[in-house]
Amino acid sequence: MDRVRRLKLILWMLLGLAAAVAITRFFFGLGATTHLSDATPWGLWVGFDVMGGVALAAGGFVVTATVYIFKLDEFHSIVRPAVLTAFLGYVAVAVGLLFDLGLPWHIWYMTIYWNPHSPLFEVGWCVMLYLTVLTLEFFPVPAEDISALASVRRFLVKLRIPLVIVGIALSTLHQSSLGSLFLIMPYRLFPLWYSPILPVLFFVSAIGLGLMMVILESHFTAYLYRRKPETKLMRPLGEAAGWVLILYLALRFGDLAYRGQLHYLFASAWQVKLFWVEIAAMAIVPLVMLWQRQFRKSSNWQWATAAIATTGIVLNRIDVGGLADLSRGGSLYLPEWTEIVISLGIVAAATLLFLFMVEHFRVWEHRPADPDADPRKLPEFNKVGFTWLGTPVIAGRVKYSLAFVLAAGFGFLLLGSPRAASMGATPTPTHRARGNVGNIGLQLAAARTGKPAPATAGTGVLYLDADLTNWGVTFYHQREIDRNGGEKSCVICHHMNMPHDQESGCYECHRDMYLPTDSFRHDWHASPKGANLACVQCHERGYPRTSAHVKPCSDCHKDLVPAGATIKITTYIAPSYVDAMHTLCIGCHVKVAQKENKPEIARCAECHKGKLNFAAAQNYLYSRHAPAGRLVVLPPPKVSEVH
Amino acid sequence: MRAAILTDTTKCIGCSECVIACKKVNHLPNDIPQRWDMNDGLSADNWTSVIGEPADKFVRKQCRHCLEPACVSACPVGAMHKTELGPVIYESAKCIGCRYCMMACPFGIPRYQWSDPVPHVRKCILCYDRIKEGGQPACTEVCPTKATIYGDRDQLLAIAHQRLRENPGKYINRVWGESEVGGTSVLYISDIDLSFLTYGEQFGKMPLPDATRPAMEAVPFAFVGMGAAMAGLYWIIKRRMKLEAERADEKAGGKPGSEE
Amino acid sequence: MTAWIDFARGPLFRLSLALMVLGLLRIFIITLLEVRDGYRANSDKIVSWKEIRRQTLGWLFPMFRLWRQRPIYSTVSFLFHIGLIVTPIFLASHILLWRQSVGISWAALPQVAANWLALLVIFTGAGLFLGRALYSPARKISHRQDYFWPLLLITPFVTGYIASNAVISPRTYQEMMLVHIYSGDLILLLIPFTKLAHCVLAPLSQLVTGVAWKFPPGAGDRVAETLGFADRPTWVLNPRLTTAPVEEAIRKGGVAK
Repeated sequence: MDRVRRLKLILWMLLGLAAAVAITRFFFGLGATTHLSDATPWGLWVGFDVMGGVALAAGGFVVTATVYIFKLDEFHSIVRPAVLTAFLGYVAVAVGLLFDLGLPWHIWYMTIYWNPHSPLFEVGWCVMLYLTVLTLEFFPVPAEDISALASVRRFLVKLRIPLVIVGIALSTLHQSSLGSLFLIMPYRLFPLWYSPILPVLFFVSAIGLGLMMVILESHFTAYLYRRKPETKLMRPLGEAAGWVLILYLALRFGDLAYRGQLHYLFASAWQVKLFWVEIAAMAIVPLVMLWQRQFRKSSNWQWATAAIATTGIVLNRIDVGGLADLSRGGSLYLPEWTEIVISLGIVAAATLLFLFMVEHFRVWEHRPADPDADPRKLPEFNKVGFTWLGTPVIAGRVKYSLAFVLAAGFGFLLLGSPRAASMGATPTPTHRARGNVGNIGLQLAAARTGKPAPATAGTGVLYLDADLTNWGVTFYHQREIDRNGGEKSCVICHHMNMPHDQESGCYECHRDMYLPTDSFRHDWHASPKGANLACVQCHERGYPRTSAHVKPCSDCHKDLVPAGATIKITTYIAPSYVDAMHTLCIGCHVKVAQKENKPEIARCAECHKGKLNFAAAQNYLYSRHAPAGRLVVLPPPKVSEVH
Repeated sequence: MRAAILTDTTKCIGCSECVIACKKVNHLPNDIPQRWDMNDGLSADNWTSVIGEPADKFVRKQCRHCLEPACVSACPVGAMHKTELGPVIYESAKCIGCRYCMMACPFGIPRYQWSDPVPHVRKCILCYDRIKEGGQPACTEVCPTKATIYGDRDQLLAIAHQRLRENPGKYINRVWGESEVGGTSVLYISDIDLSFLTYGEQFGKMPLPDATRPAMEAVPFAFVGMGAAMAGLYWIIKRRMKLEAERADEKAGGKPGSEE
Repeated sequence: MTAWIDFARGPLFRLSLALMVLGLLRIFIITLLEVRDGYRANSDKIVSWKEIRRQTLGWLFPMFRLWRQRPIYSTVSFLFHIGLIVTPIFLASHILLWRQSVGISWAALPQVAANWLALLVIFTGAGLFLGRALYSPARKISHRQDYFWPLLLITPFVTGYIASNAVISPRTYQEMMLVHIYSGDLILLLIPFTKLAHCVLAPLSQLVTGVAWKFPPGAGDRVAETLGFADRPTWVLNPRLTTAPVEEAIRKGGVAK
């Protein structure tokens, strides 16, 4: 198989994977498919797809300026591919934006609701207008073959110079405004990236990247279609890019020095290492490579230089867009594989469109001959069943679509449970209440109120923090027993024990701190070694087997809900530990508060007195369950909900 | 009147009544800790929280309702407003979901409904509907110790300074929110350092919209300037090439100006 | 065992369903493209749409054509197909799974009807298998895989029926479900890559015959070239390989227009 077809096969595969993720993204939202968070609301899709994409497409305005304004006619042959790359790049940006926006179907609101103070508003408008300009600039190429469009084409060709000038002006604006976006977050961006001249830095690096991208694209397509590499033509472009990069380095370090931030260069934060990697890839290494003699002759050397530089500049955009954020929790944003797949999928789609355009229209002076299009080439056969796939072109169609379908299926296999992911809740298994903490708990309470510790200190005191974060409630078990009338009062709270057990802990059924648990043990009830029941002994015949049509547990387990229990059991879905405890405790507290006119006993602080320090356990627990200060606040239930 | 809230952390007993009142008034559902939370108790369904750290102190966190809000200046569709009365409110119907407000906010306040396929940005609106009709926010109304109080910003500032004066040594001598990032409507006085409510940096006095303003004001000039420069260059280069061509023709002995 | 069942009804089911939907879409589109290519290559551009429609509908619904020739086979086959398609889609328990995992649901069959339909599929499926095995003309045109399909197709129905009426179950509910789900997933996976794909290709088969299956101009020359007789004119190989009889038939109006 030829290079082009092998590449296309890989691209279609990426597209298939991305299709699976895309469907999940729009069905289940950003939470299910990204690693974004309230601390880092922007990530790879903004950094790479939007900011990187716009910068990668800078070749369009740089090359049109070179040829049409500066009249350097020797570069005329690269205008069409450069404009095409820019056009597809901006289309990719728009598509990437549709994935990243929470409400992509509102994207057109920018045309009717205006906020000219916002850099993003300006970027949005510029990109829209520039995409139009690029469409008009490129349209004459596909229109060449259609005689009906000849007059439109002639008109657009006449309009070329104004279009080029407007395109350059628009590019200047939004390339720099992408930097302006971040001017408003001086406290968020790491000081090595934040700078008042970010717009200028973005614009300059975009020119460098545009030139490098042209080199990369020229050599890559030359390799693909086995054309002669344009090494001689690319050399002056590389050298121009070198000067731009030198200017960029001077601006960036000059700005750091001017603002007295140079000391950060040797700080020990991981961001500093990132900075050096970025600077090395985007400027230092390419500059060194540009100075070597090989750059003049070797196409491999040229494209390696360009590849390193483009990687570096795209990394810069990703850093500014999310990686180099200072987030309060210090949490590091790393993209989820789904985010990477979507980004790659968009690139793949753009590349496939590029190859299509190149093969079907006169983007280059000579349309590349498809090595497989020869009608005399032997037909291909499926290797598995030796079925006829047709001529190589038709066989390609069959293979690409198969790659797409298989990859999409594989993507669906890889996507875990999107429903669970979109809830964002990590399962938090619960643990037994900690006993014998009386002394610590009562001392804490006593220290807070200033009164001496009560006599019950040390006996019958539990610490309820089922997630073991040490944020919990000191529960005076003995006191509750005494107040509610001795041993007989157990039934008020212990509503549904495990069979033949009067003291099973709450955590045994309320098995997750924040999520409900199915506490019915299906396996055991249906298993011959357990209760050995047939389905129809509990489930009603003729209905789907859900909790809606099933015998209540109390039909068999008559002692499970003792008379006088506070809570009635309607279903075997046990609420989360937090909900269960809150409903149970707050219900009584609210009633008593109303009856005895003591509002303070129904307040959170009555029970939640703060963090308990289990000195011995703390290090271990904190290293594993670290959500310190996670406050989950629930309104107290209405009294009527509690029986 | 410019609506404002003054929170005195020394008076807060951490009872979370304000949080519950906020939930009730704004009809916010129960929430569970989620992967994307910031560990400060705030979420799309929890617009205020009481942070129980550090060291047994209680600090209330909510939207600061900046006098010159970064989020309002950042929103590309103008869904965020600074009202005359003081609160920063938002129209969810206009939102496109770009989350630039979340990036721009120096206090990290706006939260996103990540779990929703149709998500919106949400945050405290200082009970705008209530204060518009002369009421006060639910949180200040229910506070049992008057640790968080509502009033006119100037009066609250006066109260704050009075408390600082009258209790030397009890407080850190500073009103948080008086002047940083141009001043906020939600003020704090405290006996502990409150920089953990922000990204941990000491804020300057410059309002953040001022940071983008020069760049945005340069936009029309950049557009016209770049366009004019390109047009001018085009004209000059074209002219020069034409002259050169004529000169070359002359040297070659051809008739000047003759083009076939 | 629960973990295996969860895998089959979670990721594996998503994989199978995606492969089935996209795979069927793929072969449908490819077939249409091939019809288009074939039509372009043909010298004979006459397409008898009416005949294609008549044939397609006639073979799809047994009451038109097949009924006259083989009444029992056509009825059994028709009922088998109806049950095969309707039961899994409109079974209340399946819809419940959809609602739990994606949040969408639609009208369900009553449980009694679903039970009867499942039985119908099992017995008609078994009947088709026996018919193929016992009727010698059918046996002669059968491949080995043709015996396999009815058996595979009724497997999830048998296990599902037993699992939902557990009084008659020889094994535990879980084991039944395991076989049920894995065989169901396997069917979905195989549909687009095997002859089961006729579920979407059936309406196209007459179209292919009517539009695309004609000899492109110069076909004989290429055959000759491939066989190594390129230097000899085609008619030397076989004088009957001319289009003259066809053209004459068209002239006479014998080929439908």
